[in-house]
Amino acid sequence: MKLKEDLSRFFSLLADEIYATGQYLRNRRGVLPGAVVQQLFVMGYKSFPIVALITFLVGITISLTSAAQLEMFGADIYLADLIGLAMIQELVPLMTGIMLAGKIGASITAEIATMKVMDEIDALRTMGVVPEKFLMAPRLIAITLVVPLLVAMADTVGVAGGVIVARVALGIPPGVFLREVFTVVTLGDFLTGILKTLVFGWAVVVGAGFKGFFIDRGAEGVGKATTESVVLAISLIIGLDCVFAFVLY
Amino acid sequence: MDHIRVVNLDVGYGDETVLRNLNFVIPPGMITVVVGESGSGKSTLLKALIGLNRPLAGQVFWGGERIDYDSEHSLAALYRRIGVLYQNSALLNSLTLYENIALPIRIHRHSTPRSDESARVHEVLGMVGLRGADGKYPFELSGGMRKRAALARAMVLEPEIVFCDEPSAGLDPLTASGLDELLRTLQGSHGMTFVAVTHELRSIGRIADRVLLLQGGGIRFDGDFKDVAGSGDEYLRSFFLLKDEAP
Ligand SMILES: Nc1ncnc2c1ncn2[C@@H]1O[C@H](COP(=O)(O)OP(=O)(O)OP(=O)(O)O)[C@@H](O)[C@H]1O
Ligand SMILES: [Mg+2]
Repeated sequence: MKLKEDLSRFFSLLADEIYATGQYLRNRRGVLPGAVVQQLFVMGYKSFPIVALITFLVGITISLTSAAQLEMFGADIYLADLIGLAMIQELVPLMTGIMLAGKIGASITAEIATMKVMDEIDALRTMGVVPEKFLMAPRLIAITLVVPLLVAMADTVGVAGGVIVARVALGIPPGVFLREVFTVVTLGDFLTGILKTLVFGWAVVVGAGFKGFFIDRGAEGVGKATTESVVLAISLIIGLDCVFAFVLY
Repeated sequence: MDHIRVVNLDVGYGDETVLRNLNFVIPPGMITVVVGESGSGKSTLLKALIGLNRPLAGQVFWGGERIDYDSEHSLAALYRRIGVLYQNSALLNSLTLYENIALPIRIHRHSTPRSDESARVHEVLGMVGLRGADGKYPFELSGGMRKRAALARAMVLEPEIVFCDEPSAGLDPLTASGLDELLRTLQGSHGMTFVAVTHELRSIGRIADRVLLLQGGGIRFDGDFKDVAGSGDEYLRSFFLLKDEAP
């Protein structure tokens, strides 16, 4: 019963947000001027450093654990294939998505839930503003612009982790390693990684909006909604990733 | 002409009806005060009148036109005519005071030149005694200042009717009476209609033209404030603390 209601709310909010964003892109009304640019900066500032750090560490870790195995079989150079494909197809989108859930999704939910509790959402509505548009359109547009840059950066940093391990542990020169990466990884792989991460990013933003707008009355409030938002976003990401795996490979 | 006419209205949440079969009118150019015990449904009624809460049954008419709660068009038309002062002010914390008050102008009259916008914002800030605070953020203001700022926002487009949920609750007596005086002045000079929910007896005495007393899921009293003192209804008298003075 509760689940059915939640699902119908979720999808009607999703439809509202898509409609509102499309409408905004057409006539540029109903959103504060500069809101998109502001969101771009906020999201970039929140996500770039942490995503860079995490993908770099994951790149190093995976490389170190695989290097030992590959060396046993004398297949050292295949570290490049492994890191290139694993990072770009799978780990960067997944890690980036999860970081977006923790950094950006959580803050969107906290902000909207607080606005809801303080009647700011009602106030927007009675001022003739459509909150789903006013608040969500700039965020959806901003995440769409931020993700490709973020993924390109994370791919680079993650592969760089592999380069370092290959050089230090296996004595493979960076030039050789990178040439091998570029022969295995296609432009299509790179673009698919971006597309996957985009879908994860949208899931984070829409899920965060859902938890914010429909915060339970009388519950522990904003803190609870924020935690639930991160859990929801990560579940959505893992679920969608599984769907991608079936569809793509 | 009645400003708002309510016909056989039931309001509530889900399966739970809070107020049943309401019939009343809100006359223009007056201050109507909605009173009642805590939990009697004052806020619920207010939310239904301003389109935030869909009634369970019955109709609400604005100047003869029925509000269709399913139609975005109908609600948008309604929102152009009203200003709302929320109990906890509900200013947007991410915007400065100036931007908060300019927001309704930017949304509804997006072609307004910046100079006109600025003039209007400063005019209403002056009315509520907040000239000079326009660069501050809501969290930098005191509770009373936020209430006055919220009133400024509610009035910036010169709405026909302003709804106030507990405008003076939680304010010191001086600030509260200042706010009441402001409502009176606006009602007098601009002919604005006000619907205010309030608990404060002193405030009611200062501003009320008409009183709507909610009790037990319905309307217990609906009439002029000056008739309250002469009423024989025990509940009404006890609500307004008139019991002891009764002969
Ligand atoms: N969002 C909601 N969902 C379900 N029930 C609600 C909701 N808000 C209020 N109620 C119930 O509706 C009834 C009336 O509440 P309302 O807030 O309208 O009272 P009120 O007269 O404004 O009280 P107060 O003076 O304390 O503000 C209460 O029984 C309350 O429990
Ligand atoms: Mg109330």
